[in-house]
Amino acid sequence: MFSTIYIEEEVLESERVRKLLDRFPQIPQVVCDRYGEVFNRKSQNFRLQKIAPALILAKKYGNKVLAAPSGYGYNDSKSYYFSHMLNCVYDCRYCFLQGMYSSANYVLFINYEDFEKAIVEKIEENNGGGVYYSGYDCDSLALEPVSNFCSHFLPVFRRYPNAELEIRTKSTQVRCLLDTEVVPNCVIAMSFTTSEAAVQWEHKVPSIGKRLEALHKLQLAGWKVAIRFEPLILGAEGLAPYEALFAQIFSKLDGDRLHSVSSGLFRMPVDFHKRIVKLYPDEELFARPTQTTDGMIALKSTEENTHLMAIEELLLNYISSEKYYRCA
Amino acid sequence: MKHPMPVNIVVAHALEAKALVKMLELERHHASTDFVEYSNSNKLRLLVSGIGKEAIAAGVTYLSEQQASDNGEIRAWLNIGIAGHRDASLGSAWLGNKITDHSSGTSAYPPQLIEGVEVGSVVTVDEPENSYPLNAAYEMEASAFYAEATKYSTAELVQVFKVISDNLENPVSEIDIRRVPGSIAAQSPQLLILIERMSAIAREYNSNQRLPGYFFEICSQIHLTVNQKLQLRRLCQRYKALGLEKELGRVAGRKASDARELIQQLTERIDRISEA
Repeated sequence: MFSTIYIEEEVLESERVRKLLDRFPQIPQVVCDRYGEVFNRKSQNFRLQKIAPALILAKKYGNKVLAAPSGYGYNDSKSYYFSHMLNCVYDCRYCFLQGMYSSANYVLFINYEDFEKAIVEKIEENNGGGVYYSGYDCDSLALEPVSNFCSHFLPVFRRYPNAELEIRTKSTQVRCLLDTEVVPNCVIAMSFTTSEAAVQWEHKVPSIGKRLEALHKLQLAGWKVAIRFEPLILGAEGLAPYEALFAQIFSKLDGDRLHSVSSGLFRMPVDFHKRIVKLYPDEELFARPTQTTDGMIALKSTEENTHLMAIEELLLNYISSEKYYRCA
Repeated sequence: MKHPMPVNIVVAHALEAKALVKMLELERHHASTDFVEYSNSNKLRLLVSGIGKEAIAAGVTYLSEQQASDNGEIRAWLNIGIAGHRDASLGSAWLGNKITDHSSGTSAYPPQLIEGVEVGSVVTVDEPENSYPLNAAYEMEASAFYAEATKYSTAELVQVFKVISDNLENPVSEIDIRRVPGSIAAQSPQLLILIERMSAIAREYNSNQRLPGYFFEICSQIHLTVNQKLQLRRLCQRYKALGLEKELGRVAGRKASDARELIQQLTERIDRISEA
């Protein structure tokens, strides 16, 4: 599961770490001073580390709850994100994390109580409200059996019914949710691309069918679920893959009961893109022409808006426009 | 061993090299007056650096300079040598997953991509260690080797492998150095896994990064500024990624003698083909 487990000396004796290490006695354990000694060092290679990622158990210092980028969310409430983990168990070729870090190891910040305190402070600053995103720098559910993220953080949000938690994921690890009483202000947001894009670029990700099955179970159990069509990458096949994807999704899920549906085009900071191109000069996606606006790079398409509107038109056959938003 | 093995092995002592020369079917060559070197036709290199941090750093620098013209290809680097441990049995061995430099107190953590090889800590000391206070292999080169070799390769491809030659019951002062080749030879199953796997990763990396021959052809035919060279490099990568390497040749057939014109032609063509 992990090639090595690195542990910051400071957290070595914490109960959460001890329990976790006891589960993996066969994996080599290495003690370090700070996770920065192991993670994101120069001379490291994200692509190579994906061959056998390690787990790093660390304590997060500094800001734990940050303002979400503008246009990230689905309403006008103040939005924040928090990352109890850095990096993702999946290997999506379009993912910005490849350009953000030189290391593919997973950093799990185990001081959940400090995150909880920071979240509660932020909720109270916002009179009990605000939207809180988890899954910006990681997939929140994919490592759930190891992290027990849900069992710690769901009760926090249960106490603050006007604050909303969005768990962004591509994982089918929903047992923890199904075994828990529904938290009405928690949204499970699953990301999808077309099946062609998934096969080409989403390595190690559960199939669309399996993800839908997981969402279906959650919806039946009463959880709020949302769909995120990100990134939209238009190919030579035109709209047909999207027609097929929408038909597949909405034959399984009740569109009227979805919390929200969003779409977002492929884009990332220019510097991240440059680093990813160095890692994957052989990748077809990055060989396509690009355009840069305000430091963000996107695929160049003279008909981008026409295509996007056509996809939205297809989508709005299944859901009401009130549920839909474009992610900036 | 049919495939190329872009691996540099560096050892401190000739006796550490002895078993490897036989195991890897290496031949001595006389390129350097400062270091003893061995190699084979599969690109595997073995260098005997001399004992200590300074000597091994110089050995790594020397080898990297020798290989500087390899079209940007990277090589894996492996330091193999004997070490002491307080209670590990003689002849046991491991790959270093933490290398601590005793004099500076700093540690490095070689990323671990290779399964099937024992792992453990390594401490690099300036003088032979007799008491072995930590649960680690004590030796005299690893920290300098790792620091120097990661200047020339990616950290995932820089590893150290230590074979225990002394412990509290068998102190370093009583090592029978004639046993060193045998101890290293006994680790051949682990070493062969390690070398084969490191070279496979390096080969794959180099293959992914390989530039079409067209790039080198043009560089030899037309004067390009540094910036133009970078542009051409990226264009060649894009053509390759899109499966259009042959198109590059066709553009060359047009005999665009001016670099700016050539880059413009290549750009327009690939943008037209690949835009969604």
